[in-house]
Amino acid sequence: MNDWLVEIGQNKQARSMIRSLGLPVPVPEKLVRDKGPWSAAPLRDQPALAGAAEGSALVSEIATALASAGADPYVAASDAHEAAFRAAGEAYGRPLRRATELGEGKRVHALVFDASGIEGAAGLKALYDFFHAHIDRVARCGRLVVVGRTDPRAEPERALVATALEGFVRSAAKEVGRKGATANLILVEPDAAQHLEPVLRFVLSARSAFISGQPFVVRARAAHRPNGKVPFVRPLDGKVVLVTGAARGIGEATARALGQEGAHVVCLDRPADDAATSKLARDVGGTPLLLDVTDPEAPRRIADTLKGLGGVHAVIHNAGITRDKTLLRMKADLWDQVIDVNLASVVAITQAVEPLLKAGGRIICLSSIAGIAGNVGQTNYAASKAGIIGYVRALSEKYAERGVTVNAIAPGFIETRLTAAIPFVVREGGRRMSALGQGGLPIDVAQALVFLASPGAQGMTGQILRVCGGGLIGA
Amino acid sequence: MGNVKNGRRAVVVAGARTPFVKAFSEYIELDAIALGVLATRALLKKVDLPYREVEGIVWGGVILPSGAPNVGREIALDLRLDPGCEAYTVTRACASGLQAVTLGAAAIERGEADILICGGADSTSNAEVKLPQKLVHAFAPLALGKPTPADYLSAAPKLLPLTELIPRQPKVAERSTGEVMGESAERMARRNEIPREAQDAFALRSHQRAAAAIASGRFEDEVFPVQGAGGKWVHTDTLVRADSTMEKLAKLRPAFAREGTLTAGNSSALTDGSAAVLLMSEEKARALGYKPLAAFASWAYTGVDPSDQLLMGPALAMPKALARAGLRLADIDLVDMHEAFAAQVLSVLKMLASPAFARSRLGLDEAVGEVDPERLNVHGGSIALGHPFGATGARMVTTMANELARTQKKTALLGICAAGGLGAAAVLERID
Repeated sequence: MNDWLVEIGQNKQARSMIRSLGLPVPVPEKLVRDKGPWSAAPLRDQPALAGAAEGSALVSEIATALASAGADPYVAASDAHEAAFRAAGEAYGRPLRRATELGEGKRVHALVFDASGIEGAAGLKALYDFFHAHIDRVARCGRLVVVGRTDPRAEPERALVATALEGFVRSAAKEVGRKGATANLILVEPDAAQHLEPVLRFVLSARSAFISGQPFVVRARAAHRPNGKVPFVRPLDGKVVLVTGAARGIGEATARALGQEGAHVVCLDRPADDAATSKLARDVGGTPLLLDVTDPEAPRRIADTLKGLGGVHAVIHNAGITRDKTLLRMKADLWDQVIDVNLASVVAITQAVEPLLKAGGRIICLSSIAGIAGNVGQTNYAASKAGIIGYVRALSEKYAERGVTVNAIAPGFIETRLTAAIPFVVREGGRRMSALGQGGLPIDVAQALVFLASPGAQGMTGQILRVCGGGLIGA
Repeated sequence: MGNVKNGRRAVVVAGARTPFVKAFSEYIELDAIALGVLATRALLKKVDLPYREVEGIVWGGVILPSGAPNVGREIALDLRLDPGCEAYTVTRACASGLQAVTLGAAAIERGEADILICGGADSTSNAEVKLPQKLVHAFAPLALGKPTPADYLSAAPKLLPLTELIPRQPKVAERSTGEVMGESAERMARRNEIPREAQDAFALRSHQRAAAAIASGRFEDEVFPVQGAGGKWVHTDTLVRADSTMEKLAKLRPAFAREGTLTAGNSSALTDGSAAVLLMSEEKARALGYKPLAAFASWAYTGVDPSDQLLMGPALAMPKALARAGLRLADIDLVDMHEAFAAQVLSVLKMLASPAFARSRLGLDEAVGEVDPERLNVHGGSIALGHPFGATGARMVTTMANELARTQKKTALLGICAAGGLGAAAVLERID
């Protein structure tokens, strides 16, 4: 079921008619997505314009990330920063070029600004200087990325910078959203610079198409020393990943995306869905597991299956239900079902599989924008999805020493069977309330889940990552 | 990889090659097998080795005859070597010749043989032009079975549309990316910032050095005369231009891109020819009274993403071979690199000289090093001499082994880029 406005937007005559009649129809841009497996150079030959504030120290990581991802760098920075781009250019055959060589009106796929040198309110001017000059250059479905520093123990004068960057990026996301472009922020904690490159690569690639206006915090908290370099192709080769609720929707898209990256996917869903689950498991070369997550035996049976596979690298708690009713009219069983499936079983299963998690492992839960903002008729759902947030934050601290990261994805409006059933007006409201002016697809959430499961996301833990197209409401 | 087991070393005793000529000229009637026979016969004559002593042939080629792809075996049969002389043929694009030689060396070191002939040949003139697969599928049942008139009738509609039946001109294009090799090299020239003048100067040097080598008789020991089409004798490589100048090279139009820097003058040309190398175990060579020229200290083969920089393979293979031999670039006396395109060689040299490249791509602390132009391709290279794909590796081994013996230098480093994003390298050391 397709987004009718995006389809209209694809029709040249319709677009020009809307424009010439001056109709206030916000035609959203059809997003460029990457459905295929991860490639070695996702930014193949695309121009990227990079800048840096005085005293910024993450330039060499940014330069390496851009060059190894295949981008052609144009640099608007001081000589000191140019050296980093020159070195990365020599290593990857991407010669340094200056921003001044970009012709009038020439568009770039990405604008990347290293704001790590900004020390206080006055330093924020560097943001204005760079983006005021260049924001117009972002191409359709392009990327705007700010990289900054954050330190939980910073002095107040410096602590304000990280959140200021966040506010800037949220607004910028709404300005460029019309073009289908995204704007995001990566905040790097002390000693975490080595974890920056894979995150930057994901944010710049087409796989982050529906993530906008979001901060990614990169930390050294969950330390893990893997063998060899972080892989950018088939990152989950040989790794066992459990996906609950895999039969359809986001779960199915996630299982397929994981399979493409070499994972052995344990596809879990209810026995009633055995046909779909078995077919999926066959398609991705994984293992089907048919049980109800609320079954008291479920945690033990899951643990047995995973033990038989030699342990598990990542657990993705995707199974979830809605039983919407205003609180007054909600019967007890509707409350119980939602809390049970969405929250209690997540806790029980996680406890049971905890000993089987490998070092450098992952727990990823699905929260929801509804959990963050709340909705009429969703007191049960919102309680469960917000509960996930608290659980993830605390669990991430508990598992940090083992090198296991714990995160949650909070999807916004995603086009699925469920959302197709919503009445038109409400559905339109949900779809349009984002910077990108459209709903996301299950693959958008799936790609974010695959990223968080990958070795390159070791620097992210305790995060609630919204996949919402830059939702207009809330932060 | 040059690991000497039980003290067995494989040594280069001698090498011989045909002169290299442009495709579709003097050798048009000599296919890869015929060219291989000529080189092998000349080699055996030169060292005066009885035919029955040859235990095996390891041969390399790119354009293999579809009816008889094991060219090495056909050479053994045509030459009437001992029927017990086994043979196989390998293909690793432009590095096929070197691959054949290193495989032979490995077999000798493992004790599987004492005397092997290793080499390669390619006859671009005799490349088979493939009929469109549609035609093959339409007619194969008719050719292979017992067709009835009804079968003929039903085959006819499969031929439509007729335009799809015209055989396509074969291009040197990558199967995975569809990119013509020259276009890949053109992109490398841009990404590594290699200007046209530098490429032309490099090409000029190749021609000048090759011409000097021919004039001084340096190649007389390696190159034997061949009787080509119309009974005409060919004594020297016909592609070398002794009178080449920068002005002449500058006049050529770009060959692969409108505003490009690569031309026919600074690229290697389609060529026919063959080369063969005689390898023996050191013990056997001395027992038979031969003076070995050189042995392999190491070899290395690498792969890179063909869609990124297709021809940068040697930038990874050459450091790998050096490391395996326990040597540094500064220790190497001679460097011989296959000149697919001047831009390709210059790009690889830049990467070898770059500390950033070494740190990011090779995991080393410092750059591999700058190759001294005086030590590089001292008698010219593929741009001047030509590049029959399978023969080039064997040509380079022959020339370097002879050069080490003549000059009494110690080590030579070879580097070859190949289609498919492959790289090959080897380190030869002189034997006293």
